[in-house]
Amino acid sequence: MFSLTQRFQVVSNQAITFSLVIIAFVVASSWIQLLYPSNVFQNTTSAIANVTPSMTLRTSRYYGSQNGKPKENVRVSFDLESDFSPLFNWNTKQIFVYLTANYNSSGSINEVTFWDDIITSKDKALVQLKNAKSKYTVWDLESGLSGKELDFKLHWNIQPWVGPLVYGETDISGDHKLTVEARKKNTESGDAEKVSKRKKKRTKKQKVN
Amino acid sequence: MNIRLELAKLLNLCFVFASAYMFWQGLSLFANTDSPIVVVLSGSMEPAFQRGDVLFLWNRNTQNKVGDIVVYENEGQDIPIVHRVLREHHSKSESQNKQFLLTKGDNNAVNDISLYKNKKIYLSKEKDIVGTVKGYLPQIGYVTIWVSESKYAKYTLLAFLGLSSLLGGE
Repeated sequence: MFSLTQRFQVVSNQAITFSLVIIAFVVASSWIQLLYPSNVFQNTTSAIANVTPSMTLRTSRYYGSQNGKPKENVRVSFDLESDFSPLFNWNTKQIFVYLTANYNSSGSINEVTFWDDIITSKDKALVQLKNAKSKYTVWDLESGLSGKELDFKLHWNIQPWVGPLVYGETDISGDHKLTVEARKKNTESGDAEKVSKRKKKRTKKQKVN
Repeated sequence: MNIRLELAKLLNLCFVFASAYMFWQGLSLFANTDSPIVVVLSGSMEPAFQRGDVLFLWNRNTQNKVGDIVVYENEGQDIPIVHRVLREHHSKSESQNKQFLLTKGDNNAVNDISLYKNKKIYLSKEKDIVGTVKGYLPQIGYVTIWVSESKYAKYTLLAFLGLSSLLGGE
């Protein structure tokens, strides 16, 4: 009557049903914790200040340059404050927070990341940065970034232990808009010189390799 | 030997395979992607995703946001790569649905430009993206890695299936 396969089937079916119920319970309860007592989708705030850009010219493909044309690369330094501890509940494995900037160029709408961080526990959920440097150097796809108005936003993403990924945006206060100034004309030749020097260095390096 | 019974068993086996195939294809159609479920193969997204974690994909969105975790495949390579969107650029006009994405693994120090083929510095949402990660199950997919990478595991599984089908007669 009861063969090996039948027993195996019954046991595995029960295990699957049982774990599905547990997963559903975990996901539902963690969602309730995100919405009550306070809705984290609306009530997570952040403050940004002292955003200062700095620009360099790069000629590597890894810095957005194509056909050897120098590309404007922008980094920023900034102060940032936010508390992500309400996002931690029993289904939170980590929180990924990322500082992005939106800007419009002639034909397109863009969003780029300047800085991000992984928060793995509730004790580290208070973000307080003073004069922090951006993690990434950013360039525009079409032309340069000078003259563009960057609008900074701080987003978060909850990576759960099981279930759906949850995304949200903080309500940002402070001076989050910044217009990147154009490079001054008289430094342009200097930049070009630097670029050509860098190029020479690189070719030397490649020969060594 | 009862031929009718043996044929019925064969039919039953066919039914199992057909329903598994239908389930997969139905899911593909629903999520609009070639592989609606993928298993993470590398540690480039740690600690979010480890090797063996199972991800559920969705590809009915026409655009991705920065911060989305996407799966893409390079031209001519069958290895799906799971990384996060670092930048997105899309056209102002609604009619043009083009979007360019730059990706990076959370655990990697630099972005993915060196992984892209043909000297590309951006991915195209339309052509390269397999899907966006929506759901997550830990570790269960490790069985598939185990079976595909260890020949002993493969033979054990085959032996188990063969034995159970031989011994499993009513």
